[in-house]
Amino acid sequence: MTDQDLTRRHLFERCGVGVGKTALAAMLANEMAASEQSKPHFAPKAKSVIYLFMAGGPSQFEMWTPKPQLQKLHGQFIPDSFLEGKRFAFMDTSFKDKPKLLATKREFKQHGQSGTWGSSLVPHTAAIADDLTFLHTVSTENFNHAPAKCFANTGFTRFGRPSMGSWVTYGLGSESKDLPGFVVLQSGPRGPRGGALLWGSGFLPTTEQGVLFRGSGDPILNLSTPKGVTPRMQNQVIDAIRDVDAMRHETTADPEINTRIAAYEMAYRMQTSGPELIDFTKESKETLALYGVEPGKPSFAANCLLARRLVERGVRYIQLWHTDWDHHDDLTKPLEDVCRQVDQPCAALIKDLKSHGLLDTTLVIWGGEFGRTPMGESRDGKVGRNHHIDAYTMWMAGGGTKPGMHFGQTDDFGFNAVEDPISMHDVQATVLNQLGLDHTKLTYQFQGRNFRLTDVAGKVITKILA
Amino acid sequence: MRRFLTCFFAFTFAVQAQAQQDGTEARAILATCLGCHSSKTAMSGLALDTREGILKGGKHGPAVKPGESSLLLDVVRHSGAIKMPPGGKLKDAQIAVLEKWVADGLPMAAKVAAAPVHWSFKPPQKAPVPAGTHPVDHFIRAKLAEAGLTMSKPADRRTLLRRVSFDLTGLPPTTAELTAFLADTQPGAYERQVDRLLASPHYGERWGRHWLDQARYADSNGYSIDAPREIWKYRDWVINAFNADMPFDKFTMDQFAGDLLPQATTDQLIATGFHRNTPINFEGGIDFEQYRVDHVVDRVATTGSVFLGLTLGCARCHDHKFDPLPQKEFYQFFSFFNNVDEAAAEKDRDNVQKPVLELGTPAEIRKKDVIQAQLKALQGELNVYRKEIEPKQEAWEAALKEGDIKKFRTSVQAALGLHVGRRNDEQAALVFETFANTDEAWRDRRATMRAVEKLQPKIITSLVMRDLPQPRQAYIHQGGDFLRKGENVSPGTPSVMPPLGNEGPATRVDLARWITSKQNPLTARVTVNRMWMRYFGKGIVETEDDFGRQGSLPTHPELLDWMAVEFMERGWSQKTVHRLMVTSATYQQASPADNALATEKDPRNLLLSRQNRIRLEGEIIRDAGLVASGLFAAKVGGPSVYPPIPSGVMNSGQNAREWVTSTGEDRYRRGMYTFLWRATPHPTMSLFDGPDASAACTRRNRSNSPLQALTLLNDESVKEFADALAARALKSQDPLGQAFEMAMARQPSAGERERLRRFVALQKDEAGGSELAAYAGLARVLLNLDEFMTRE
Repeated sequence: MTDQDLTRRHLFERCGVGVGKTALAAMLANEMAASEQSKPHFAPKAKSVIYLFMAGGPSQFEMWTPKPQLQKLHGQFIPDSFLEGKRFAFMDTSFKDKPKLLATKREFKQHGQSGTWGSSLVPHTAAIADDLTFLHTVSTENFNHAPAKCFANTGFTRFGRPSMGSWVTYGLGSESKDLPGFVVLQSGPRGPRGGALLWGSGFLPTTEQGVLFRGSGDPILNLSTPKGVTPRMQNQVIDAIRDVDAMRHETTADPEINTRIAAYEMAYRMQTSGPELIDFTKESKETLALYGVEPGKPSFAANCLLARRLVERGVRYIQLWHTDWDHHDDLTKPLEDVCRQVDQPCAALIKDLKSHGLLDTTLVIWGGEFGRTPMGESRDGKVGRNHHIDAYTMWMAGGGTKPGMHFGQTDDFGFNAVEDPISMHDVQATVLNQLGLDHTKLTYQFQGRNFRLTDVAGKVITKILA
Repeated sequence: MRRFLTCFFAFTFAVQAQAQQDGTEARAILATCLGCHSSKTAMSGLALDTREGILKGGKHGPAVKPGESSLLLDVVRHSGAIKMPPGGKLKDAQIAVLEKWVADGLPMAAKVAAAPVHWSFKPPQKAPVPAGTHPVDHFIRAKLAEAGLTMSKPADRRTLLRRVSFDLTGLPPTTAELTAFLADTQPGAYERQVDRLLASPHYGERWGRHWLDQARYADSNGYSIDAPREIWKYRDWVINAFNADMPFDKFTMDQFAGDLLPQATTDQLIATGFHRNTPINFEGGIDFEQYRVDHVVDRVATTGSVFLGLTLGCARCHDHKFDPLPQKEFYQFFSFFNNVDEAAAEKDRDNVQKPVLELGTPAEIRKKDVIQAQLKALQGELNVYRKEIEPKQEAWEAALKEGDIKKFRTSVQAALGLHVGRRNDEQAALVFETFANTDEAWRDRRATMRAVEKLQPKIITSLVMRDLPQPRQAYIHQGGDFLRKGENVSPGTPSVMPPLGNEGPATRVDLARWITSKQNPLTARVTVNRMWMRYFGKGIVETEDDFGRQGSLPTHPELLDWMAVEFMERGWSQKTVHRLMVTSATYQQASPADNALATEKDPRNLLLSRQNRIRLEGEIIRDAGLVASGLFAAKVGGPSVYPPIPSGVMNSGQNAREWVTSTGEDRYRRGMYTFLWRATPHPTMSLFDGPDASAACTRRNRSNSPLQALTLLNDESVKEFADALAARALKSQDPLGQAFEMAMARQPSAGERERLRRFVALQKDEAGGSELAAYAGLARVLLNLDEFMTRE
């Protein structure tokens, strides 16, 4: 029983819903697809993805996108032409009065060969800008957190479709024999809005859903044995289950039983591999210092280190969530804090992947569900920025992207793209492309039509590819 | 102009000259396009059934410009942007026929005759069944015989009772039930069990839960905030309706339009919760109208997939690509559900779940209103007073000594340790409350409020449908975008289906009547097909939510139709159909795949030469554990409950929602009563393919994963079941056999017994000789066996 058979079985079981014109033909087609499973559509550049999701919407204007015109025209009304036909969050309250342009108080410097502008909030990441590819003109479809997160992760603003990680493991399987193919890690003061649906498998098999790992205690739900059960007793239990299941297979000839035996074997291995994964004692002091990991303390830094360890173990898709980026009314200390929490670990992750020779085959993505407005938003006398969906900044690294590149131009206020506009669907198409998957071909038939991550849109951003 | 006319007449003449000789082949090909492009449907404005229609074309221009160009040919050749037919390119030979036909000048002897109506749009009819034969077996045997196959032998009686018990009630048989059945050797013993199970209150739970999947039922609002909602009364209404075998037409009517019926009963109002189970978004800064529209769209899609087996949702943004459903008809359907008085603007934020039915006596509701008014007033005063004392908080904090701080709860200490700006709302409130409680007047005011609050009667509520006094005007949303207003539309049903038959403006009452009209060819078929799916693992139409052209064809069309007609003729009684299915020999076959010929000829067992093994749903696995352990609490209905949950589940969403583990009988209730948070579902649901309740789920996946294994191996609940099962089994002379039988409804084989005996000895050694621990280990093995979680 190979893992490939295992995936085949999932698919086989599931394909009942997915059958097209004639059940048999479609079934056979799906079977074919299944046997092609773990084979990308074309030669991949990347084997793994680490998506650093900055939940809440980080402000590009405070970190990566200095705009001299904003500094110059601070406090002036934004020209009406920008706002025509646009909708924003909190329109009826925050933008009751005409919004005014807001200069940033952050100092910017150029960094590296690429001359990347980075502010004093992100010194570590700016210092490695020559390894990063910046996308300055990303747009999305919805200006509210939960739907926009849903869009960034599932290609659709309403919940219920498979997440990108599920599509990826569905298309490629996982190389890890001891860990799930799609792992989710959380940090920050709360979980992301939308919760488990953001890494759900939608109509794809449930086996493709993201598995939430924790950096301390039980890394996976129900990973440790119940109280009073020794490891040896647990082994005896698992052995007995396997043997009696095998006898049942003799009687019923149901291949599903073999799948279950394989699942229990993997569960067994996870009981060792899970704790081993989160055990940092074999990491050097230098490595811990590089990330800024404090042993025993859950943090974004610890999750970044976990991400590198997961990639080493062949895990296909790793998503980190760091919450608390929603700075409507304060761009001072709260923003400084969250930048400090992520800046050094992000840079450390890239450096560490590089020194382990993993960056070439690992695509790292950094970004939120949207960015923030060039206009200020005033709440009770405090000023921040509102959600902005027309153009915002993300960065990528490794996995066949062009290092040190800046892609896309926005206008003088950073409101709209003026050159190379792209959407989240394009980002998704590009991620799949780097993994060797054609986003128009990675489809699943459900409720009478072929669904895909990029819905009916998406274009690979070829200019950013090495 | 004159030149054109000359040409045209010449052309016409040429056509007539050839009419008798040609055009037949081309018309046969065009006939397959008429599902969408006839004068009646005219999707994209194009009608291909007459020459005039072809010359006139649709919104992309003439399909053929004689002597110039032919969009029609470009489209079928797939040489341009538009590619047709949607199901796949025509054969080259067919394209060649059309090419010649266009070159010849479109000879057309007669109108293109409509292609045969798609099977599912034709009314079902009963084919004759020989007297004395079970109708199900008659049709199944006929297909098997064609393939040179026969049915398997019947399942043994233990397997059969376990199977039918799971299928009808979602519970395994108890030892007593099993013993009674085995002792009943009179004819009709099995049928008596079927009657007993159909009469059990747990039948309504089992089939009610299937329905709740389709109703997208959950106990919270979903999206960002995922606040709890109270709608379990609807869940209970469903259970009761199934138990009472409420006719499906009434079942449909009450759910769609209970609120519009004359003298609507409370139950009928509660029933309308069906279409209120949509997620509700009310995160800060949203446009409420956008999400209201989403609810309405979801109601259309749900009605389509649940009742009609049509993917109506596909026509939201454009005309349906495969079925004759123009976008306009989507918005006509939309219009039925568009008038609900639900949150549509920021001003509704305080009442985002409206309309809500309050289920108290009039006196209770009055009392509640009075008290709420009082509380509101008191809160207002308190807010004023708060402003008075707030300025003193900073000084109070500054004056706190370390000794003072240590006396506070740890959560307060933690919050005090944070800079004011870094405290989240909860922490800020905590610190303020601690400070304010040092003020006597504040304490008094709070005490008064608490006393008043206590007087408030607890009134159960439920989300319901209630229309606005003035209907909203529905319109076509161009490209599916509600901001791009198209043509206004009124309520209506798809033109490819029988007429709505309304008098006066169409309402949800008319819609419900139309759905369960005997002229509606889909509803009965779709419903019995889904019942069949639960018994055999797949439907007769495998794509149970798509009976359109993209759906699969029925494996046994005559059987499907026979049962659909029977369902309607027997007054839409679901229990009648259940009885029909489970009393068939087809259903009662053994499930092992031990017939090599059958495996070779019919590897997917579509012809049903045996039963199929089906993994139980997550809730049912829990229920089976409860029954086997003897912990099962049989109570039906009531508010949702909180069985143990692994730590860490509840804080993976934006708001760490409280989960106070239930005690007493509520700890041991059936899985379907577990409080279902959309953002942080209980792992028993999410890991075992439970629906996420974001849209109708008409069929669950059945996956098989390591995380399921970890849950069953290590979860606190399962361990609790195992311990109880072991204690029960140890009362028997043969605890091993007894435990096995309680879990599997059969005795172990010699091989199984030997392996498990060896296991018990090993566990006993390891557990320092404890019998109880050793048998608890055995019980854990049993609760993890494939057979335990499988309906054989």
